[in-house]
Amino acid sequence: MNDLAQTTPAPIVSARGLKKQFGGREILHGLDFDIPPGRIYGLVGHNGAGKTTTLNAILGLTSYEGTVRVLGEDPYAKRAHLMENVAFISDVASLPRFLRVRELFALLTNIHPNFDPAKAHGFLEGTDVKMDARIKNLSKGMIAQLHLAVVMAINAKLLVLDEPTLGLDITYRKRFYRRLLEDYMTEERTLLITTHQVDEIEFMLSDIMFIRDGELILHMQMETVSGKYAQVLVRPAHVDAARALKPIYEETRFGQTAMVFDGVDRAHLATLGDVSTPTLSDLFVALMQREPK
Amino acid sequence: MKSLTALIKREYLEHRGAFFYAPAAILVVLTVIMLSGITLGRFEAQAKVAIISGAKGFEFGFLAMSALWMAYLLLALFFYFADAFSADSRNNAMLFWKSMPQSDFKILASKMLAGFSIFPALIFVALILSGVIVFVGVVIMLVTVPGFTVSDPSAFFASALNILAFDLGYLVLALLWYAPFFAWVGLLSVLFRRWSIPLAFLIPALVGLAENLLFRNIFEDRDGGFVLSYLRDRINFAVGRDDIFDTMMQDSTFNAGALFTRFLTEVDWSQLVGGVGVAFVLVYVASEYRRRFVAT
Repeated sequence: MNDLAQTTPAPIVSARGLKKQFGGREILHGLDFDIPPGRIYGLVGHNGAGKTTTLNAILGLTSYEGTVRVLGEDPYAKRAHLMENVAFISDVASLPRFLRVRELFALLTNIHPNFDPAKAHGFLEGTDVKMDARIKNLSKGMIAQLHLAVVMAINAKLLVLDEPTLGLDITYRKRFYRRLLEDYMTEERTLLITTHQVDEIEFMLSDIMFIRDGELILHMQMETVSGKYAQVLVRPAHVDAARALKPIYEETRFGQTAMVFDGVDRAHLATLGDVSTPTLSDLFVALMQREPK
Repeated sequence: MKSLTALIKREYLEHRGAFFYAPAAILVVLTVIMLSGITLGRFEAQAKVAIISGAKGFEFGFLAMSALWMAYLLLALFFYFADAFSADSRNNAMLFWKSMPQSDFKILASKMLAGFSIFPALIFVALILSGVIVFVGVVIMLVTVPGFTVSDPSAFFASALNILAFDLGYLVLALLWYAPFFAWVGLLSVLFRRWSIPLAFLIPALVGLAENLLFRNIFEDRDGGFVLSYLRDRINFAVGRDDIFDTMMQDSTFNAGALFTRFLTEVDWSQLVGGVGVAFVLVYVASEYRRRFVAT
């Protein structure tokens, strides 16, 4: 027991029975999960599935039922203290528009004990963001670059990104994630990210959580996904045999039948067609279908 | 302390329009008016009032300017608190401020402190500069208009210092006196954003109306009921007109010490201290509401 306690690090985020109601309607139905340190988590779900509400509960921005601990503290009661070690970018541009970049850095130097202005300045090198520029005059892409530079210059243990690249073009999105991975991630840091463009972050994720209608329907490490789920392009002669194995999803693509299976032996599936590991977006489509009521 | 100072500075950066640019523009307009008066010869034409001395003329002008700047400051502060307490919600910036390791109470307290320190200081500087403009105007009148008694330069200096000392004392007390009103509109701003200004008047009016309809027999001796008569008394923090007039009409230099001492005896200290306490409670309630319910 002691050995286990010594080798298993305390989770950065822990939620037990996390529920949230809005106007009498329950949005989150009792989520249970732990996020260990040093991982890159993707939280994926439809619009209105409860992603942002879950993040808001983790960030102490909203009240909730159940228990949530971030770095061992109740985020709703200790938000200000917690933010010394937690940084986040929301799904909308939120940098104060009346400030110049230089003024923003000076302000952050004085109000955030873990902000390093030299690092932030360094992250902006090579971009079009100038120190004397007013934030309100920057383009959407430049504001995203600036905000990323700001959060990467904060020595935080947990970074939460809620749709950070929403509305940005593909060039900015790729550059954004590359910088994040190359310049920010270390073993001590944990990243929790939500996005609709799951294919773009798949390469960097260590763990994935799918949320549907306020419930976690998938929570596993990425390497486990390939062991559990398989996608088969079924040969026409074997469609009935494949259906007998109860695929969790089936669709027709350019005349071919594709099926996704959960926990079926790959060797057996190989006799029915071409087997591959489903991409996150394929798995998302397969798992996120709402069952008919 | 470092973070509080930085937060006060950001208030200055966000709201300097009303407390820096607008006063600067007013001073420029005053200067232009004075220069126009000189070039058009208007000073002579307007010099109809028999004034005892140049220094007294300066005192009248500077006191009038002081009163105008005080009124400007109190009005601008009212609008500042109505705006600043909900300004962080503009353009989704609340999410940014909530990502900072600063409590909601500290952020609202910084707004309150900015309204009680840097902004009044800026208006006080504008007041001093307008005193210089008045002084230049009076000197021009002394030179160009017959009938004025040339004053000893030290008399101007003594008058200016006395008026500034009185202004400073009054300013500090007035800010403390009106603190609960500012905190009230600030709380409403957190709750109702841009509707805080009409609600700051509408709510007390409705409470007063309800009192008159429901409990009119209890406070019969108070004109308009307890709530409205209390607010009417509470909102008045002016120096007595007779006191000012008596001080002004003396031949000697404006005596700030005597006037201020008399004014201090008229201040209801329990109301002043109680009001500061109420302001503190209102800001705390606003910060708790913001912490619990304002996420964007």
